[in-house]
Amino acid sequence: MARASKSAVVLCVDVGLSMGNSPFGEEAPFQQAKKIIQKFIQRQVFSESKNELGIVLFGTDDTKNPLAQDDQYQNICIHRHLMMADFELLEDVEHNIQSGGQHADWLDALVVCMDLLQKETMGKKYEKLNIAVLTDLNTPACADQLDIIIGNLKKAGITLQFFLPFPVDADEGGAADGDRPGPRHPPHSGKGLSREQKQGLEMVRQVMTSLDEEDGLDEVHVFSDAVEKLSIFKRIERRPMAWPCQLTMGSSLSIRIIGYKAVCEEKIKKTWSVVDAESHQKDDVKKDTVYCLNDDNETEVQKDDVIQGFRYGSDIVPFSKVDQEQMKYKSDGKCFAVLGFTKQELVYRHHFMGQQVLKVFAAKDDEHAAVALSALIHALDSLKMVAIVRYAYDRRSNPQVGAAFPCVKDKYECLVYVQLPYMEDLRQYMFPSLENNKKFVPSEAQLSAVDNLISSMMLVEEDEDGVMEDIFKVNKIPNPQFQRLFQCLHHRGLNPDKPLPPMEPWLKQMLDRPQAVSARCHAPLQEMKKLFTLKEVVQKKGQKTSADVFGNSTEEPDAKKFKMDEGEKFSLAETSEGNITSVGSVNPAENFCTLVQKKTVPFDQACKQLTHRMEQLLGNRSTDYYMKTITCIQAFREQSIKESNADLFNSYMQSLKDSVPDKNLQEFWDLLVADSITLISKDDVDSSTVSKQEAKQFLTFEEKEEMAAAPSHDDAGDVDDLLDMM
Amino acid sequence: MADWSDYRNEDDEEEQEEGEEPTGEYKSTGRDSLVFLVDASKEMFVKGEDGEPSNFDMTMQCVRSVYTSKIISSDRDLVALVFYGTKQSKNPRNSFKNVYVYHDLDSPGARRVQEIDNLKGDKGSQLAAETMGSGETSLGDALWCCSNLYSDIKLRLSHKRLMIFTCRDNPHGGDRTRDRQACTKADDLKETGVVIDLMHLTKPGGFDVSLFFCDIISPPEDESELGLQSEPCGKLEELQKRVRAREMPKRAMSRITLSLGDMNVAAGVYVLARTATKPPAVRLYRDNNEPVRTKTRLFHTQNGSVLLPSDTKRAQVYGNKQIVMEKDEVDEMKKFENPGLVLIGFKPMDCLKLHHHIRPALFVYPEEDQITGSSCVFTALLQKCSERNVFALCKFTARRNTPPRFVALVPQREVLDSQLQAAPPGFHAIFLPYADDIRTLDVHECPRASDEQVDKMKEIVHKLRFKYRSDAFENPVLQQHYRNLEALALDMMAPEAIEDFTMPKVKMIDERLGPLVQEFKDLVYPADYNPDGKPSAKRKPAEAGGGVDKKPKVEISEEELRAHVAKGTLGKLTVPVLKDACKQFGVGIQRYKEKSERNKEINNIRKREKNVNFATEEQLRVHRIVYRLRCAS
Repeated sequence: MARASKSAVVLCVDVGLSMGNSPFGEEAPFQQAKKIIQKFIQRQVFSESKNELGIVLFGTDDTKNPLAQDDQYQNICIHRHLMMADFELLEDVEHNIQSGGQHADWLDALVVCMDLLQKETMGKKYEKLNIAVLTDLNTPACADQLDIIIGNLKKAGITLQFFLPFPVDADEGGAADGDRPGPRHPPHSGKGLSREQKQGLEMVRQVMTSLDEEDGLDEVHVFSDAVEKLSIFKRIERRPMAWPCQLTMGSSLSIRIIGYKAVCEEKIKKTWSVVDAESHQKDDVKKDTVYCLNDDNETEVQKDDVIQGFRYGSDIVPFSKVDQEQMKYKSDGKCFAVLGFTKQELVYRHHFMGQQVLKVFAAKDDEHAAVALSALIHALDSLKMVAIVRYAYDRRSNPQVGAAFPCVKDKYECLVYVQLPYMEDLRQYMFPSLENNKKFVPSEAQLSAVDNLISSMMLVEEDEDGVMEDIFKVNKIPNPQFQRLFQCLHHRGLNPDKPLPPMEPWLKQMLDRPQAVSARCHAPLQEMKKLFTLKEVVQKKGQKTSADVFGNSTEEPDAKKFKMDEGEKFSLAETSEGNITSVGSVNPAENFCTLVQKKTVPFDQACKQLTHRMEQLLGNRSTDYYMKTITCIQAFREQSIKESNADLFNSYMQSLKDSVPDKNLQEFWDLLVADSITLISKDDVDSSTVSKQEAKQFLTFEEKEEMAAAPSHDDAGDVDDLLDMM
Repeated sequence: MADWSDYRNEDDEEEQEEGEEPTGEYKSTGRDSLVFLVDASKEMFVKGEDGEPSNFDMTMQCVRSVYTSKIISSDRDLVALVFYGTKQSKNPRNSFKNVYVYHDLDSPGARRVQEIDNLKGDKGSQLAAETMGSGETSLGDALWCCSNLYSDIKLRLSHKRLMIFTCRDNPHGGDRTRDRQACTKADDLKETGVVIDLMHLTKPGGFDVSLFFCDIISPPEDESELGLQSEPCGKLEELQKRVRAREMPKRAMSRITLSLGDMNVAAGVYVLARTATKPPAVRLYRDNNEPVRTKTRLFHTQNGSVLLPSDTKRAQVYGNKQIVMEKDEVDEMKKFENPGLVLIGFKPMDCLKLHHHIRPALFVYPEEDQITGSSCVFTALLQKCSERNVFALCKFTARRNTPPRFVALVPQREVLDSQLQAAPPGFHAIFLPYADDIRTLDVHECPRASDEQVDKMKEIVHKLRFKYRSDAFENPVLQQHYRNLEALALDMMAPEAIEDFTMPKVKMIDERLGPLVQEFKDLVYPADYNPDGKPSAKRKPAEAGGGVDKKPKVEISEEELRAHVAKGTLGKLTVPVLKDACKQFGVGIQRYKEKSERNKEINNIRKREKNVNFATEEQLRVHRIVYRLRCAS
């Protein structure tokens, strides 16, 4: 998609004298406005948007604009011409935009912006043209030219947004403001608007409603939530691409439609490259991939000798990409074919699949299609049914089965398409019943407490006009991940040597429960705490101590016992401090090694203690203990070799092997085999009576008939091969 | 930001999604194992009424579908098939009589599926009679043999299950010794962690579990009555459902706490629906088809040394600026909170919009083992939310270093369908979109249909209604893939054809609708309307104002042009404008034939204009024309 579609935005910022005043010690409107434009520019830079951005300041001390002649258009500066946003701009805005000492007419500034836009977008193609004016309206504005200005805006197709420190209806009925529900809007402190402001506000309303009768006032925003609501960004956002197709029913009925991605999980596209830590160069780092066989030598294999395959259960089937391409499922191309209709309640919300929602409209400029589609939408709507549809984006994509729901609104109607699961996607799990289980049935008091909790935590309230208002609209919250990323990128870009900044408090606050609700639910929550007894089950998995396992053993010196009761983990550092006088049960392998190395006790005594511990461990039939035992055996073997004493080890191993069938230790023995721990042969210790061959054979148990029958590809194997593999 | 090309499903397996998704992989350290223990006595081969398949046949079909579903779901599970009550014996060391191990514990593959196929139908019963036959029964021996199957395995086993298929409720015919022996063995098995299930099949006179089998099977895993279905399975479908419900042990994707204020409750998060994809390809050595291992290393290009993770950092470039961070700073940026669910509040159910869908949902169920009392809280919440028709809005952090997303916890009360659980009790966590996920659409008003037209369409809708079931459609792409692999594995001539359930049954639809289609078309489409053809050029009335799409054609005057040349802003004009200008002033803009000449020109341009951006073809063209204009002026 090579469309380089972009939009142009001019930020028209009031930096005049009054903007710099901070009422009641709050943040001055100038600071707020600066933050807003910084956040907007930040987003443009880090989303690598192609949009072009210009900045016009008014209320500046000097005058720098092409319209300034004689006394007209004074104190208005073009700070930046229309260009893509970049890091330099971020730095520039940070340092070079200062509060000014003059006043300027905001309408004049608006005209300068319009002129800038028109001149600098001439000859080029833009999707949207937008001017965002940030001001406190505290300057006298001349309304003479208002109609002409409005006319020009319309003609040029320029959209307008206002950002004010107070809401658009601030001059109407000021008293109710303080109690206004909607904790997101801080009660505005400007009790009294100046005459200029009131006048200005009137003009703003006039302009906005002339441009858009119904929704014009929606584009007059308050500073405080301008950033949160991504208002500027949303205005110029690129519209989704159209997907034209035909909705078919059988072979003879088709309706021309267009689909758009209406909701889709937005992800960060840019990835992090790996660079050298010193030079920060990407080119200094190269990834090398090497293929090797699964044998002991890890023989390397050339990339050209590597082909593709797939698992089919226990089989591995070579299946090259070329063959795959040829044999794979082929679809006919894009389609939106109705398979049938079904009741809406049979399609479960929790079965929606995929990561997007399509909105389907009738093809543009096709009245007949519109009527046909409208008939379908209304029919489905009134019957409370949905269409089950086969959907394929194009020839190369996989087909889907999904549901098309009717969506009827005041301004438009459409079908909403969502993907549904295939049989392979579903998992049939059974969960124990909750309500039929006597242990979990809540009492009346508990139910009532929950009821109160729900009532106190409702996020939808009725305001004074009886209209239900949602005070926590998730779909108006910008993704905090992006915000945080941009903040960090911005900070690191400007301050390469400082650590990452803490998270901005407004970001955290945006994600928290509204204050008002928290206050209300405090009491019901306390009530719930009293009525429901919750007890955390303490997990002691990772830290079994000997006290837990063997009960209190009286052999241990008291110091160790004390430590174990507290459930502390032992570390080698502690144990090697010379406190070991015998092989303990917590870390027998290590104890044994220490004893032998430090020669605290004679070697055979140490071995006896170790084997004693191993018997204890083997008494517990579990893999964890088996593994521990194996560690002991390995230690036993190692130390034996060092001590050149093969006999103790070998005879122990022999008796161990003999006891396997009786004690049902087959599983343990297999682990041993897997680790290839065998007798000490002559190769390892001269005095051993065991030959290498005997050592090799030691690990096998009689004839293993079933081995010959097993893995399908290696049928040529026999006992010798198996031994070699060990 | 996103465009359509992102939408298409990835067909190469190289790129897997970053671990952002909550629908992650199960990380189990052991393999699950399932042993099918099937009665091979003569009673099992008796055909049902009206030529219905015998119990044996049904069982084989069931087992086969488990084999193929295990293959498809890419589970590394192990399955075994053992017959008891056979005449011939076949088991390791032949220590047990009348026990025939058809398949020992291993991952199912194409060959094994074929072998099961051989046991299906009449031919299958014949083959079974020839190879195994029917003889004495000793369930104790059979169970012992199964126990050995488990212990013979070197791999670590996590979940162990044994399913007994039989229609005889008193297999030893009253022999108390054998009964006791079987019970002892069963107890041994249960002690080693094997779960024993009974899939009892129809028997004339009814199957009485209390005679013998009640002592063999494992108690239900939970307190509820789900464990024991008293009615035997008569139909294949039922049998399949029951087997399916038990063959896949459920695992929580994660265990988290749900905080209600400062009160914490433990919950498990489960995936009930997740897009099944083709498993990733494996790399094989061409000569012997053995899998190869891949080793990757990072090394320094200048001095060839191997780079450890601590020798590298991460960077991104924006414009001219490179921003560098440590790997753990990159992770830290994603950390907002600890994993868990935080309750924000409640909202009425109609605040949950259908079209606010961004990801498949998860299922939340209390974890009584982590915090006792959790189930009681959950049950109370479930009941009340359901009664009041509200959902709980929560902030969900799936894992460490993962940014939060908001979910709507929608109550789901248990739904039973003839003793089988059709829907489990708990909450569905529906993911909610952020502002960035919602696209703005330009919508325009459209003509609406009249009542007559709507009514005609209602008739059409009625004709094509059916009862939708979520498991009715198989994924044709996956099915084709597996048939292909099966054909290659078994050296078949061609893969078995799949039935594509996603295709509309056009003929049937046409038949059912009959004349309705034409009647509807008569109401909405004019006689000459052809939806396949190009749209009739509908002229938009010329508007006085507005109309962003139509820009007035810009004709550039010589003065302006010269001004541009002087300022150096020629590059800002579009190619058409510049071309017109060239035409106006008679500057030739023919293309070069030789690439070398073109390159010469480009070099000249580069020399003259230092800051020129050649990123796109368009820009290159623009600059060439600019260059010529300048030379001409």
